[in-house]
Amino acid sequence: MNTNSWESVIGLEIHVQLATFTKLFSSSPTVFGSEPNTQASEIDLGLPGVLPVLNKEAISFAIKFGCAIDAKISNQVVFARKNYFYPDLPKGYQISQLDDPIVGEGKVKILLGDEEKTIGITRAHLEEDAGKSIHDLFNESSAIDLNRAGTCLLEIVSEPDLRSANEAVEYLKKIHKIITFLGISDGNMSQGSMRCDANVSMRKFGDDKLGTRTELKNINSFKFVEKAINYEISRQIKELEKGNSIKQETRLYDSTKNTTRSMRSKEEANDYRYFPEPDLIPIRIPKDLVNEIKQNLPELPEALKKRFIDSYNLSDEDADLIIANKETASFFEGVLSHNVSAKSAINWITGGLFALMNKNDLSILDSKITPEHIAEIIKNTDNQKISGPSAKKLLELLWESGGNVEKIIIKEGLEQISNDNQVEKILDEVILENQKQFSQLKEGKDRLQGFFVGQVMKKTSGSASPQVVNKLLKEKLSK
Amino acid sequence: MTELVKLSLSEQLEGLKTKSFSSKELTEAFLKEIKSKSSLNTFISVYEEEALKNSSIADKNISNNRTRILEGIPIAHKDIFCIENKKTTCGSKMLENFISPYSSEVYSRLNNLGAITLGKTNMDEFAMGSSNETSYFGKVFNPIDKKYSPGGSSGGSAAAVRANQCSFATGTDTGGSIRQPASFCGVTGIKPTYGRVSRWGMIAFASSLDQGGILAKNAKDAALALHCISGFDEKDSTSLNEPVGDYINEINSKEEHVLGIPKILIDKISNNSVKENFNNAIEILKEDGVKIEEIDLPHIEYSLPAYYVIAPAECSANLARYDGIRFGHRSEHASSLEELYFNSRTEGFGKEVKNRIFIGTFCLSAGYFDAFYKKALRIRRLIKSDFDKAFKKVSSIAMPTCANTSFELGSISSPVEMYEQDVYTIPANLAGLPAISIPSGIHNKMPLGIQFLGSYLDEGKILNLANKFQNLTDFHEYE
Amino acid sequence: MKINKQDLKNISLLSKIKIDDDNSASLITDLESILNMVKKMEKIDTSSVEELSHPITTTQTLREDELKDEIDREKLQKLSKEKNSGFYITPKVIE
Repeated sequence: MNTNSWESVIGLEIHVQLATFTKLFSSSPTVFGSEPNTQASEIDLGLPGVLPVLNKEAISFAIKFGCAIDAKISNQVVFARKNYFYPDLPKGYQISQLDDPIVGEGKVKILLGDEEKTIGITRAHLEEDAGKSIHDLFNESSAIDLNRAGTCLLEIVSEPDLRSANEAVEYLKKIHKIITFLGISDGNMSQGSMRCDANVSMRKFGDDKLGTRTELKNINSFKFVEKAINYEISRQIKELEKGNSIKQETRLYDSTKNTTRSMRSKEEANDYRYFPEPDLIPIRIPKDLVNEIKQNLPELPEALKKRFIDSYNLSDEDADLIIANKETASFFEGVLSHNVSAKSAINWITGGLFALMNKNDLSILDSKITPEHIAEIIKNTDNQKISGPSAKKLLELLWESGGNVEKIIIKEGLEQISNDNQVEKILDEVILENQKQFSQLKEGKDRLQGFFVGQVMKKTSGSASPQVVNKLLKEKLSK
Repeated sequence: MTELVKLSLSEQLEGLKTKSFSSKELTEAFLKEIKSKSSLNTFISVYEEEALKNSSIADKNISNNRTRILEGIPIAHKDIFCIENKKTTCGSKMLENFISPYSSEVYSRLNNLGAITLGKTNMDEFAMGSSNETSYFGKVFNPIDKKYSPGGSSGGSAAAVRANQCSFATGTDTGGSIRQPASFCGVTGIKPTYGRVSRWGMIAFASSLDQGGILAKNAKDAALALHCISGFDEKDSTSLNEPVGDYINEINSKEEHVLGIPKILIDKISNNSVKENFNNAIEILKEDGVKIEEIDLPHIEYSLPAYYVIAPAECSANLARYDGIRFGHRSEHASSLEELYFNSRTEGFGKEVKNRIFIGTFCLSAGYFDAFYKKALRIRRLIKSDFDKAFKKVSSIAMPTCANTSFELGSISSPVEMYEQDVYTIPANLAGLPAISIPSGIHNKMPLGIQFLGSYLDEGKILNLANKFQNLTDFHEYE
Repeated sequence: MKINKQDLKNISLLSKIKIDDDNSASLITDLESILNMVKKMEKIDTSSVEELSHPITTTQTLREDELKDEIDREKLQKLSKEKNSGFYITPKVIE
């Protein structure tokens, strides 16, 4: 199979659930994981006589996204009905946008190794989410939960500018970063706050014309996006090499088998009969509102990275680690606000904190540690009130249960023993217990020095100052 | 006591205020008429016990000087307005057992102002019809002569007012559904500006055309009742956030009227009695000092075709929610989802509703959308600008309400012939303008009506004109 | 304007309403007469006219992102003939 002669052309449609308190057209709550149908009001159920009223915040969130990708914001927003029957679509139509999407053409940059690539965004529009159909709960029937029905979605459609599964993943990660930095979505893919469909087609290198594409649905993690697209690419190449043509269709990604399969059920009637939603009037977006939002836009990852490098002298790698997500970046700045050095802050966050987060599979927000805690640890280490090992212990204690740093130091006896007399007393004990080793050290077996420091630390549960121990040990040796 | 029911709303209010009779006596009198004339089939539900109980409360309020605007006035609602914990059928088998969990804004406002709800009136199924023959609960008979149709779709409300079964009644008008039955039953019917009355809880037929309104004995009664249901409602995005006119005072104010007559349209009237009656009515107003101006509405003849694309298109989507799953008729014979959809909808909807869903679906479907739906929206623009131009010259426009007097029940079987009933009423809906129909004469025992159309939010002006006409004539008076 | 069997089948599928062979002839007559009436629109040239989907030209008021009344699931689900453990129920769908 001559895979080298084929170029894959990929575009993504990303559905982002906006982090509004209420739904797009009703005042129902949008809390994930609630009891079935407890967040479905008469409006969400599509009862006779109900009417939609648009959520103001959804408009602002969409404009924020538009500003972040340097897109034109439409001065008029028109909603349309997309008509199809499905049990999780209560009204028999979805209120979406066709003409005049709120966000027009824009672009984002992704980094591929050292090279930057610009990915075009065709449009982003607001629409309501559907509910959930659960087919494996009851034996004889399907169960419908409409809690999600009506939740605000921003659908972000990219140009077919992506050329590999890896590029698609990088692009998806970039969008994830933008929406979370903007604070318009929690971006939680496992809860479906960000979902992705991919359009994949193949063409011979050098061809201008696009090949027939398939649409992959249900790829809801970064890992699956890569796997599903790669599977689909090789499936299409195999077909094309055999001389077969690709059928334009929707395919469902099966993550357990790592395959895609045709979804025939959705094929038969896909005439959505879009028409302007008559229950809503076109909404004018004032220029002032767009300008105001633009001016108050939170700092985006690229700008933040640049600023971190410029003002704190961070290395490129450190800066990348810190801006990996919004929480870490603002945690970092929170630590710095307590007047500690950027270098120590980086070390404690990427070294100590990240390890604990990974070990416990928690995000920085889920931990009990605050930026102030880290700053306190740094200060106490810098002024040698606590030793390095004690500081590590302190971090672990704070991770477990939070609390007041000073109190924990006292309660756990973490204060560094830098009083020479105290340390000397303990050092003498250690020398007495290890006469033989001491003589060897005296004779020049230098590596035993560490052994003595270690023993002192052990006896003091790490609270002795290693510098003091070293200094005293040296004195004793020269005597 | 039966004479009480013949009093106008203002006379009833006066009588209650001066304690000439009690609300209980008034309510009993209306209930008696409802019972004795039950063969007219005007009501789908009657709340006898509750109405009597509420009338006693009203009497207490009156004697305690806690009298609200409509305290103790017995009224009826078209069965398209949802009332909490009450059956709301919309004249359809689909909603035969639908107990609404919430109330419409129109009901709530009247209820809060002290009105007593006697019951819900019969109507064409989902307000689709011009004869009241499409109701699942049987046709309504014209109280003047039971051989004749009361008109539709608010035929139950019009007939109930004419038969003295309520003080006034609510109705809805999508293409003439208040004005045509008002004309056929010899009562006064007003459809206000689109957006003047909240559509919350008013079961939708065609959202961009539907508007709630009033059927009453005369213009003065209609003015008060309309005032009570008008005004902004945050639950309806299409509700106008504009102050409500003081119709009760405006109706008697000295207004300079310039009445526009669409000459070409009037000359084309083929029914001589209608033409003659219309010209006589204009003569009466002219003699009283109303200035008459000829106007041209060049595109008005395309109202009917444009309407019969737009209304069915919107209805095809509005009625998609009736799928048997969350509410409404659910077929007993369904072993698959498709069967549940097809059987519930096929069993639950009547022929006329199905026809309109089919037409609407067809006009929105791929390949026909531009030629039908888009074309109709463009014609809608032309019609609206015809009116905009005309209202620069005139303050109101007069037209006959209908092309004929009422017809015998069962005499029209061709759908197009039935649709042509609405030829003069539809333009006001397409342009969203207020329009009132009042009796203007009798031909072969059956009443004729004249219609005044007003400019945007000019309800006061057309009510004033209607009141002026009723002060000059007695066509609106009946036993 | 002619409506054929395929058109009927298509609108039946899209609207989820059955059209029996028995009444399809009379339905075709009805629909064709309506569409022929509607077709009168062709007589005017609207190529330079903008569409008007709504009679109101003002903008609408938007809603603040604030929670409102409690949702009474039991009351709302009384309207449904088939529910189980808080879910609405349909015949099994095989995807």
